[in-house]
Amino acid sequence: MAASIAGVFENDLQQAINSSKVFVVGAGGIGCEILKNLVMSGFNDIEIIDLDTIDVSNLNRQFLFHKQHVGKSKAEVARESALSFNPTVNIKAYHDSTMSADYGVNFFKRFAVVMNALDNRMARNHVNRMCLAADVPLIESGTAGYEGQVELIKKQLTQCYECLPKAPQKTYPGCTIRNTPSEPIHCIVWSKHLFNQLFGENDPDMDVSPDTADPDAAGDAGMAALKGEANDQGNVTRVTTREWAVKSNYDPEKLFRKLFHDDIKYLLSMGNLWKNRTPPKPLVFGEVPDAVAGCSNETDAVLKDQKIWSVAECVEIFSSSCRNLYSQQQRLDLGDNLVWDKDDKDAMDFVASCANIRAYIFGIPQKSRFDIKSMAGNIIPAIATSNAIVAGLVVLKAFYVLRGQLENCQSVYLRNKPNHKNVQIVPEACLVEPNSKCYVCSPKHEQMGVVNGSILKADDFLQNYELNIVIVQRCLTRDGPLFEIIGSETAKPGSPEKLQPENGQTDDDDDVVHVIDGESTSNATSSIRKRKLET
Amino acid sequence: MSSPAPKSPEQSEKNKKYDRQLRLWGDHGQAALESAHVCLINANGLGTEILKSLILPGIGAFTIVDGEKVTEEDIGCNFFLDHDSVGKSRAQATIQLLLELNPDVRGDYVDESVEQVLENNPDFFNNFSVVISTQISERVIIRLSKKLWELEIPFIACQSYGFIGYARIQVQEHTVIETHPDNEVPDLRLDKPFPSLKELIDSIDISKMELKDHAHVPYVVILYKCLQQWQQENEGQIPKTYREKESLRKLIRAEILNNDDGIPHDEENFEEAIKAVNTLAPTNIPSHVREILDDESCINLTSKSKPFWIMAKALREFVENEGAGALPLRGTLPDMTADTERYIHLQQVYHSQAAKDAEVMFRRVQQLLREINQSPDSITEKDVKLFCKHTSTMHLVRGSCIADDYDNKIFAQKLAPHLEDPESALVYAVLLRGVDRFRIAHGTYPGEYDDQVEPDIVKLKSCVSKLLNEWSCGPLAKDDYVHEICRYGGGELHSISAFVGGCIAQETIKFITSQYKPIHNTFIYDGITSNTASFTL
Repeated sequence: MAASIAGVFENDLQQAINSSKVFVVGAGGIGCEILKNLVMSGFNDIEIIDLDTIDVSNLNRQFLFHKQHVGKSKAEVARESALSFNPTVNIKAYHDSTMSADYGVNFFKRFAVVMNALDNRMARNHVNRMCLAADVPLIESGTAGYEGQVELIKKQLTQCYECLPKAPQKTYPGCTIRNTPSEPIHCIVWSKHLFNQLFGENDPDMDVSPDTADPDAAGDAGMAALKGEANDQGNVTRVTTREWAVKSNYDPEKLFRKLFHDDIKYLLSMGNLWKNRTPPKPLVFGEVPDAVAGCSNETDAVLKDQKIWSVAECVEIFSSSCRNLYSQQQRLDLGDNLVWDKDDKDAMDFVASCANIRAYIFGIPQKSRFDIKSMAGNIIPAIATSNAIVAGLVVLKAFYVLRGQLENCQSVYLRNKPNHKNVQIVPEACLVEPNSKCYVCSPKHEQMGVVNGSILKADDFLQNYELNIVIVQRCLTRDGPLFEIIGSETAKPGSPEKLQPENGQTDDDDDVVHVIDGESTSNATSSIRKRKLET
Repeated sequence: MSSPAPKSPEQSEKNKKYDRQLRLWGDHGQAALESAHVCLINANGLGTEILKSLILPGIGAFTIVDGEKVTEEDIGCNFFLDHDSVGKSRAQATIQLLLELNPDVRGDYVDESVEQVLENNPDFFNNFSVVISTQISERVIIRLSKKLWELEIPFIACQSYGFIGYARIQVQEHTVIETHPDNEVPDLRLDKPFPSLKELIDSIDISKMELKDHAHVPYVVILYKCLQQWQQENEGQIPKTYREKESLRKLIRAEILNNDDGIPHDEENFEEAIKAVNTLAPTNIPSHVREILDDESCINLTSKSKPFWIMAKALREFVENEGAGALPLRGTLPDMTADTERYIHLQQVYHSQAAKDAEVMFRRVQQLLREINQSPDSITEKDVKLFCKHTSTMHLVRGSCIADDYDNKIFAQKLAPHLEDPESALVYAVLLRGVDRFRIAHGTYPGEYDDQVEPDIVKLKSCVSKLLNEWSCGPLAKDDYVHEICRYGGGELHSISAFVGGCIAQETIKFITSQYKPIHNTFIYDGITSNTASFTL
C-alpha cells in the first residue's frame, strides 16, 4: 500500500510514479531493498528478475527471505514477500537470466527506468547494452562491504557502464599455476582446477599436471629424458589426470602420491625452473609434519574455521573429502559432473586442503579455510546497512529520472570512512559525459588505424565469446575475396583453443567492433576462445 | 597417522548466515553485536528501517518504546505494517514482523510513551548498549539526553522529515582500538632496530651473494643496510626532504647487481626497497596517541576505569620504560619478494619481538588491575594483544550532550561559525528546531493540512527567526527552505528513511563493535541534492 504523501511529492512526480512501469534486475541484497522502496513510494507496476536461488548466506541482509525459503527462486519469493505486505501492487517476477534472448530490446523498451542490482560484470555489461539500445535510463548500483555507488546511465548524456575500461578480472599464467606457484592464490587456483579435473567438467585450460612447454624451462637438459612422454601440446601423455583417478578408484593415497610426490619430482627434473627459485619438496604420504610453521601462537583462534591446519590435518581432510566427493560423483547420472561450490562442505574442504598441501611443498604460507573460501569463492563482504543506503539512493534517483531531471542524477559514492572534507557519502559534482571513443555507446565509430599486424579484441552481444582478430595484410588479387578468414594461427601451444563455439551459437552479426575497410584488403585471422570465467 | 582424525571445521548454520559480514568485523565484532541490546524510541518508518538493518546482522536484543497506535500514515511509510494493524499498538505490531527477520534476535516492547517511561521507571534505560530515538519533542529530548549522558550510553536522535535526514549523536566518551585505517605504514623500526632485528640483519652479507640469493633478500634488509650507510654520512638522521630521500634511493640503486654487459639486473626486491623509502618515518608516538596517554583518564586510574584506559596506562608506562619512547611493535611484515626461508626468519624476528612487547604490556595491565582492585580476568591476554597491534591508530572521541544544544549561549557558539556559510546544510538543523517550536505553539506540523500551508509558512518563518535571534544569529539567507519544509507537512518519505536508516544502523554498529570511527556528531542528508554533511556541535 502506497503512501499518501501527496504533499511531499510534487504532483507530476506522484503521477509519474503511479503510471510508470519499472524493472529491477536482481533480487539480492540491493534488489530486495529497491523492491521495498519502490512499493513504499507508490509504484504500481514493477517487474523483477533474478536467476539465483536463495542461500543461507543471503539471510544476513536479503530481508525478504527467511530460512524456509532457502533453495527457492529469489525473484519469486521477493515478489510474494512484498505482496504479503502490500497486496495491491502489480509485481511480475522472472526466475531467469536477464541475458536470455527472451528479454530483447523490445522487452526493455517497455520500462520508464531500469534499476540494476546485480553482482557481476557480465550481466551489468549486458543490461547496459540493452538499455542503450532501447534508450531507457538505467540506474546502476553496487556495494562491496562498507562501500557502494549509484550512477545513472543514459544514452548520449552520461558515461555508460563500459565507457571506461574496468580492471580485468585477475587471471594467472598457466605455467605459474602448474609449475611455479609463488603465492597462496596460485595454489588455490590450482586446487580448483584439480577439483574440475577430478570431479567436474573437463576443461583443457585447467590442466594441473606439470607444463613442459613452460618458456622458463626451455632448453632444459633434465627434460630431455622425459621428452618422449610429452606430446606437442606440452602435456604429459601418460594418461589424463581424470583417467588416472578413475583407474585407481580415487584412492586418496594413490592420488596423493601422484599429485604431491610424483608430479613434484617431475617438476624438479625441469632444472631450469629452479635456477632462481626455491625448489619444491615432494611429500610422502604418511610422513608429513603435524605442526604449523610460525603459527604456534595462534592457538586462541576463535573459530575453528579460521585456524590454519597442520599438513597432517590437511592430508586427513584431503583423504576424507576425496572419498566423499567420489561417492557424490558416483551418485550422479553417467556423464554428469560435480560443480565446484564454495558452500559445499566437501568441495571447499578439498580445495582448502589441496591448496595448503601444495603451498607447503612450495614453501608458500598456508591459509585458513576461512581465508581460502574468500579467495576461491571471490567472496565480496556484504552487509545490510550498505545495501539499505545504496537502494535508498537508487529510488531517489529514479524520482529524478521520472521527472525528467536527469541533471540531478550525478553519481554518488558511499565510502567506508569520511573523506578529507568529512563526508562519507560523496556525490559527483556533475554528470560525467560519455567517452567518445567508447565502443559500446559512442554513436560514431572513429577511424581506428587498423594496420597489418593489429590485433582487435571483440566480443559478441551476449558475451559468450571473446575474439582476438589478427589483421594480416595481403596484396589484392584481381578475383580474390575481399576478406578471408584464415584460422587460429596464434593458438598458444600447451593450451589448445576451442575453435568452434559451443552450443551451436554463432556470433556473426552481433560483433561490436567494426573493421573499417581501408584502401588495402585485409585478411582476418581469428581465434575464438570461450570466455574464461573465474568463479 | 598419530593424531586423531580432525573434524573438518564445517561452519555452523549461524556462521554461514553471517559469513559475508564476519569478513568485515571479525568474530569478535560479531560477538559484540550478539551481546548488544539496543533501545528504539518510536517505531516509525525510520525507526523500523534502523532496526531492520540491526536485526538482520544478528544484534542480541532490542526493545521498542512507543505509546502510539498504528495510523494510515504509518502504513504508508513502514513496509512491515499492513492495513489490519491500524489502531493496534505500534510497538507491538512492529515487533512481531521485525522478529521474523531473524530468529536469533530477541525483542520486546513497552507500550508507553518515553515520557511515561522516564517518569515511572527511571532505571529503565540503565542497561542498553545504544539508545536511538526518532521524532521526539524538545522537552523529552533534553531529559532523555541528560539521563543517557550520565549513564554513558551512546544516544542517537534522528529524524526523517520530507527529503531531509538528520541525526545527532551523543556519546560522552568512545574509544576505538580497531579504526581500520586505509593505508597503514608498516611498523619496521629500521631507524631504531631492536636487538634481535639488528643481529639478524647484521648477519646477512649481501655483497657476497650470487644473483639468485641477491634477488631474494627481503627489501627490509636492503633498506636497513642502505639506511645505516646513509645515516653514517648524515649524522644519524632519517631522510626527510625529497633530496635526502633521493640520495638514499641512489645508494640502494647502486647495490643492484649488473650482468656481464654492465646492465643492472631486474631485481624486484631492490625496487621494493626504493619504493619503501617514501614511507620511511622516524619511530615515534603519533600526536593523537600522545593525547590519549596524557589524558586525565589515563593518568589517574580508578576502580571504575574501563579496560581501554587501563591498557592505555600500561602503554604509557611501557613507552616510558621498556619501549624507550616507542610503542609496542605491531609485529606484522608486509608481503615482499623474498625466498620463503629468509622471509619467515625475518617474520619470526618481528613476531617474537611483538609477542615479547605484548607480554610486558600484559604484565603491566595485570599489575594495574591489582592496584585498582579490579578482577585480573577483566582484561585477557587476547585483549592486550589486539590493543598492542593497533596502538598507533587507536582513537578517542569525546562528545557533547544534546541538552547543551538547547542552552542558547552554548549553542550559539557552536552554531555561529557554520551558519556563516549560506549553503551549509546545517540550516536544516535550524529548520527542524523551528518545526519543534511550531509544534509546541500550534500543535501540528507546519503544512500538515493542505489549506494551512500558506499561513504556516509565515508562522514557521517567525519561529525560525525567534530561534536565530535567541542564538544571536542573522536571518536565513533564503526563504526557499521554509517553503520546502511546509510543503512536506511532516510527511516521512520511505526512501529517505531507508537511506538514513542504513546510515544510522551503520553508526550504531560502529559503537557496538568499537570498530571504525563514528560520525562526530551531527549528520545531515539533503535528499534534494544528494549531499550529506557532518558537523561537530
